[in-house]
Amino acid sequence: MNMRLLSYFLLVSIMLLVTACSQNPVFIEYQTLSKIGDQPEWATKDWNDNNWDKKKAVLSSGEVYWTRTPIDILQAPEPLHPYAIRPYIYGEYEVFWDGVLIGKNGNPGKEEILGPEGEMLTTFIIPAHLTEVGEHMLAIRSSIYHFPDHVGMRVDIANYDELLTERLIETSYMHIFAGAFLIASIYFLFLFLGNKKEYPMLIFSISCFLFFVLNLAEFITTYVPIHYAYHHIRLETKAALMFGISFLIPLYFSKQFPFPKRKVFLISYAIILLFTFFIKHNFLDFTSRNMALIMWVFSFGIAIFGIYKRMKGALLIMLTLLISLLINFIISFQVGIFIGFSIILLGMFYLLSLRIKEQRLAYETSLVQSTRLRLALLKKNIQPHFLMNTLTSLIDWIEETPKKGVLFIEALAKEFDLFNQIENKTLIPIAQEIALCRSHLEIMEYRKEIDYSWQDKGIEFDETIPPGILHTLLENGITHSLPKSDNRIDFKLIFESNDDYKSYTFLTFAEIIKERKNKREDGTGLKYVKARLTESYQEKWEFTSEPVDHGWKNTIKIYS
Amino acid sequence: MHILIVEDESRIAKRIERMTRDIFGDDLQSIKRINTLHEALKYIENNTLDLVLLDLNLNGESGFDLLTTAVSKSFHTVIISAYKDQAITAFEYGVIDFVPKPFNRDRLEQALHRAITQEKIRSNTIKFLAVKKRNKVQLIPIEDVLYIKGAGTYTELFLTDGKKELHDKSLEKLEQLLSFSFERIHKSYLMKMSEINEIIVESGSKYMAELKNGELIPIGRTKYKDIKAKWF
Repeated sequence: MNMRLLSYFLLVSIMLLVTACSQNPVFIEYQTLSKIGDQPEWATKDWNDNNWDKKKAVLSSGEVYWTRTPIDILQAPEPLHPYAIRPYIYGEYEVFWDGVLIGKNGNPGKEEILGPEGEMLTTFIIPAHLTEVGEHMLAIRSSIYHFPDHVGMRVDIANYDELLTERLIETSYMHIFAGAFLIASIYFLFLFLGNKKEYPMLIFSISCFLFFVLNLAEFITTYVPIHYAYHHIRLETKAALMFGISFLIPLYFSKQFPFPKRKVFLISYAIILLFTFFIKHNFLDFTSRNMALIMWVFSFGIAIFGIYKRMKGALLIMLTLLISLLINFIISFQVGIFIGFSIILLGMFYLLSLRIKEQRLAYETSLVQSTRLRLALLKKNIQPHFLMNTLTSLIDWIEETPKKGVLFIEALAKEFDLFNQIENKTLIPIAQEIALCRSHLEIMEYRKEIDYSWQDKGIEFDETIPPGILHTLLENGITHSLPKSDNRIDFKLIFESNDDYKSYTFLTFAEIIKERKNKREDGTGLKYVKARLTESYQEKWEFTSEPVDHGWKNTIKIYS
Repeated sequence: MHILIVEDESRIAKRIERMTRDIFGDDLQSIKRINTLHEALKYIENNTLDLVLLDLNLNGESGFDLLTTAVSKSFHTVIISAYKDQAITAFEYGVIDFVPKPFNRDRLEQALHRAITQEKIRSNTIKFLAVKKRNKVQLIPIEDVLYIKGAGTYTELFLTDGKKELHDKSLEKLEQLLSFSFERIHKSYLMKMSEINEIIVESGSKYMAELKNGELIPIGRTKYKDIKAKWF
């Protein structure tokens, strides 16, 4: 995992380098002046625009307006490598450079009649002879029929090839990222489908998928032409994705580092996030930034809690959060948000791998535990106390009354046979367990010369139970009690069930040996019972064992 | 002969009783069966016994307390147990024999015989002597014992640190248990032979053993020859 983490970090560093190495600009952009109206002469380089407005034009509908922006070219292009200009403007427009029309994006002023045409991002070559060092004039004739209040512009001028390829390169890097997260998303979705209790995996899978879509939405403009009228759909999509991710990340951390009052916390977090989402909703970048910040603060809080409680992986998560914050300080929000998210997602990925490792270890332990339980069951019949005492009694019976000795051997054979049938099972029919108990009592009668009796009530014979647990309770009952005055010990098993649980009550009617009455720790027998219950019912059981007036009472409750 | 059987398996307890009666015949004055630890402890404290036959696992509890109490008493203890691995511990605490289950009459007879005759244990297994203190039993390591002096039905253990402890067992019984490293050099003394520095012959055929710490212990006139032949 650490190797993988390392390689991702290398990729991130390369991206940082690429971003940091962009060249110095070859131009200076001066104050843009604007004017509503439409005159072809406004395109000329030397037009007197003293009376033009420095503020953004206030438009009412699809009327044409002009902007004039003086631009200094600082460095002439190399021969055969012309400069190009890329305006970032809402609307349909024509671009004039030093009075020459160099490009057209849609039909300014005729949007309503001709319908949407053109795209968000266009790049126009500036004729080589017009890009000598010195002052130039960029005039743009445009209209914004669909969003008249979205006036404003910025331009980028650079070598034509560079301008086209730079964003492509950036996009391809980002898409490599996106692909990785798509794969991760699918992989963890499958893992979740394989084990539907693993909600962190689902959350992680969704986060990765949202991140993948966010990445696509951000960079789709590079290769899919979108008309400005539809551009806000993309922005809304981005903001909604940001909202989803911003909610899911702290939710994920709250699953991994559980803290008290999680529900209240998460609900209030969701409310704050929604509030942020809807306030100043038109400034979507601002909204995204705020949501990212809130997400960061809450996640950081959870990570700190995790560290305070010494939870595994919390320190790493805090580090990834700090690194993502640092990166957002260094580079622009547009790219920083992606890298930051990537790092956080990697941290989450690492946490999941930690959990998967823990689960594997737990599973291996449970296998070992099952084997141990099986051995414990097998051992019941060969442990010296049972075997040697039985054999001693058996010898005695054979020496004294051979016929009874034979019956004793038959009883013993029956118990061995029953043990053979159940030794490799984790659940057996209750009838089989009762048969086992009865045959054990038969053997013990020969050994102890006490009248044992067995009674059961309400048993449903198709119910199942872990093997040997009633047998163990019976053994305890025999070992720890003395017969009543009539030399009897009675055992009774009662089964009850309702919608919530099934219960077995196992009663011993006898004199309980005095010194046992007060101190009774978990002997190996009770440990066996509990381990078997856990093996088959996980946490959904309850077991009590206590002295009562008539002897001893055990209850096993199995919740449905 | 007064015998106590401590065993919670009724059939086995009866078997032991039957065989014991058979073996001892008329020598047996009383025999008692008990099936709980608590009662056994009480009985041992309040009755005079010559032998206890003890199962170490009663009602799922380890009879360790009972064992240490039993071996601190004047009588010998024989363990009858299903757990052979307890034999070493039992011998360390000074039982006279360990009979593993299942057992037959011959094996039981051997154990009883060992207990009532002077038969000595010829192996170096005993590690402690259990001494009854006010409310508890103290275990004294054998290596701390220099010599043992008979005092009526009791004995006095003389220890390396100069202290003296009383033991309920007779010198004869301790001699049985300790014969691997101890020798009866006098009718009143049981001596750890490795502690003897030299044997001093005094006028009038008086023999004295000089211990490493300088103490002098008399050697019985009749014992001298045997000891010399065996140890020197």
